[in-house]
Amino acid sequence: MPAETAVLKAPVGVSGARGHSQSTGDMVSQTIGRVNDSELIRAAQRGDRAAFEVLVRQYDQAVLRLALHLTNSEPDARDIYQEAFLKAYRHIGNFRFECSFYTWIYRIVTNLCLDHLRKRQTRKEDPPVVMVSSGQEVVLLDRVSDDRAGANPERDLMRRELGAKIALALTKLTPRERMVFELKHYQGLRLRTIGEMLNTTEETAKNTLFRATQKLRSALSPMR
Amino acid sequence: MKCDWVKENIVFYVYDEMADDAKFEFMHHVQHCAGCKQELEAAQAFRSDLGALPEPEVTPNFLASSRMHLQEALEHTEQSRSVLGAFIFDFAGWMHQIKLAPALTAALLMIGFAGGSITTWKLVPQKAIISEPGGPSGPDANVAGIQSVVTDTNSNKVTITYDTLRPHTYVSTPDDPRVQELLLLGTRNRTNSDVRIGSVDMLKDHAQDNEVRDALVSRLRFDDNVSVRLSALGALKGYVRDDVHVRDAVMEALLHDGNPGVRREAIALLDSVKADTSVREALRNLALRDPDQYIRTQAQKYLENTPHLD
Repeated sequence: MPAETAVLKAPVGVSGARGHSQSTGDMVSQTIGRVNDSELIRAAQRGDRAAFEVLVRQYDQAVLRLALHLTNSEPDARDIYQEAFLKAYRHIGNFRFECSFYTWIYRIVTNLCLDHLRKRQTRKEDPPVVMVSSGQEVVLLDRVSDDRAGANPERDLMRRELGAKIALALTKLTPRERMVFELKHYQGLRLRTIGEMLNTTEETAKNTLFRATQKLRSALSPMR
Repeated sequence: MKCDWVKENIVFYVYDEMADDAKFEFMHHVQHCAGCKQELEAAQAFRSDLGALPEPEVTPNFLASSRMHLQEALEHTEQSRSVLGAFIFDFAGWMHQIKLAPALTAALLMIGFAGGSITTWKLVPQKAIISEPGGPSGPDANVAGIQSVVTDTNSNKVTITYDTLRPHTYVSTPDDPRVQELLLLGTRNRTNSDVRIGSVDMLKDHAQDNEVRDALVSRLRFDDNVSVRLSALGALKGYVRDDVHVRDAVMEALLHDGNPGVRREAIALLDSVKADTSVREALRNLALRDPDQYIRTQAQKYLENTPHLD
């Protein structure tokens, strides 16, 4: 491994439970490491696998979280994660620095996720469960708990019902609407960036977000 | 009318995607309109309600095992390197090295100056090398740019002239992978639009290849020459239905291309995918607002032909 790569190889912390705001914060902190991306990319383009692995560590948590959130399945998320980085490794020679590496890798991941969502839509699968690596299915909503002081079972139940409605409503979106909504609402990206990642315009991303929120609001309106 | 505008833009206000001047106008209206205020509160409540859905967590074990699997897979993966890529001079990388090595820069400048002084008295025009597949004088130097693409339909041969350290000509059939690599380079020729047009025309029969299709999409989106964009559009015709990137590029051309001819060609290609929700949304907007009468009429016609989808 070249000396410059060794110096750059800072450990990335592994953290456990996080909420929405934290996930956005994580992404921001991961992006801080992008300063040295171009050196790492050039090294990876020359065949330095260690440099590529450092790049992977900068983005892999965000990639894995996005894939897991969209697929609700750890095995599927792992497949997408692995395929995305293998694809990136094989084709990093084609990376021309016309966009950030972050946009490039996210473009690969979102394409793989869209393919996955389209296949799932064809199979009409919409399980509100998450499949963990052991193959066991865990009902996603069982993970909802209200640990705040003064929490009561009735409120907890209502929250579970709302969560179930949201999970169901999300499955009714088209894969593209689901993707734009995910990248905007849960990942907190700008519509311009989302457009770049999905190889489309900001205007199209805007229209797609509008349709997605309209559909979700209409699906959830009886709850309020 | 103002209320309609506010309702159409509430979601962008809630997600902080509104320009500052529009935001001011938006808030000014909401403060004085009870209906819109209520609508805004509902949209904000909707956004907050979505927090009720638990996010699946990336546990440390899951992350660690995923990394391990990836590392194993990387050990058995080779980077793909195109034959042409090995010959292309990486100018950016070279400049980067130079930036880090001022002494080398100075040495190269001195060598260049000395070499130039010695050789300027003997400038002889170089004769183009003509090579054929498998011939003895294969490409052995950096490709600097594509000079011309000439097709002979009688002999089914394509002749590509490109610069290396001296002009070089390669003669082969259009199916030769080397020809396709050179044609891909030809699509990026910045100085000669004839080369780009010739390259795109030659590549249109090979658009089933992803790399070729990407190059055509790129020409459609970014080329400043109308003929190149039209050629690329024609070459992508068969892929609008199955390739969503092609569809998006055609939509983008329809919505934003500055040339009416390109836009009219683009809308014709979307006929087969008018059931796509994004396409229909775009068609609705065009049918109402497009300044081009032809586009408005076509968009309206497509929507009327499939009214059951609304």
